[in-house]
Amino acid sequence: MQADRLSATFSALADPTRRAILARLARGETSVSELAGPFKMSMPAVSKHLKVLEHAGLITRSRAAQTRPCKIEAAALKEADDWLEEYRRLWEQRLDRLEDYLKAIQANPAQQAAESKPKAKERRRGRTQ
Amino acid sequence: MQAAPSKDFVISRVLDAPRDLVWKCFTDPAHMQAWWGPTGVNVVKSEMDLRVGGTYLYGMQTPDGAVMWGRQVFREITPPERLVLINSFSNEAGGLSRHPMSPTWPIEIYSIFTFDEMPDGKTRFTVTWRPYNPTDEERATFDAGHASMTGGWSGTIDKLETYLAKAKG
Repeated sequence: MQADRLSATFSALADPTRRAILARLARGETSVSELAGPFKMSMPAVSKHLKVLEHAGLITRSRAAQTRPCKIEAAALKEADDWLEEYRRLWEQRLDRLEDYLKAIQANPAQQAAESKPKAKERRRGRTQ
Repeated sequence: MQAAPSKDFVISRVLDAPRDLVWKCFTDPAHMQAWWGPTGVNVVKSEMDLRVGGTYLYGMQTPDGAVMWGRQVFREITPPERLVLINSFSNEAGGLSRHPMSPTWPIEIYSIFTFDEMPDGKTRFTVTWRPYNPTDEERATFDAGHASMTGGWSGTIDKLETYLAKAKG
């Protein structure tokens, strides 16, 4: 399921160290020992984080070299990005609807019947514009 | 390593209507009921207590008949310019709940709605969203959309810039 994969992506991203590792990997392929340096962490601790990132599909590790360099995978992040994009779409649609609604009520003020008291005040203001 | 602070989620549009009217579309429950729900969704309940600390509770019925509840708790009401509220999913009684699809979506979103007067009787409406008191995981979920940018994938930045250019119209 896509939702499950997204959960894995998001929980992998939830850790600041893992985000920092990703930021480092965004600059290029790196071996585990190179990664461990700036984080002041043991190699096994870094490996643990890498395993989580790998499981979430955020990185891949080469089996070719003995150092098993890590590479960032844009696809999984793209999926997370698409998800936020949903919210952008939701707001775009919502604003489309607001636009249509504003058009309708301005074309036919009687349609504002749904609304209660503040009508008179609005008319007054409307006239001054 | 410190987590980078959340970036705001911003959407803006110029609406062809006077500011007072746009303001009312957000602060009158009858108006809200008419347009607030996403496409294909009917707002079946719309109850508003418009005062600082007051709540707007809304129920959105999806085409399959299920009702999703949401609430806004007002934090700042400055007619007709600025409305600040905490937005979240809720239950029917207005109690907090999580995003139905994502356990990691921030439980509460700090939302700022601004209404700026433009020439020719138009109004620029802008919504700014940021997680409210997020856990690390919630922040990550919210930021995930921006993570690719800090990673330097130009495609995403291009998309954003195009979008912003369009939004800034």
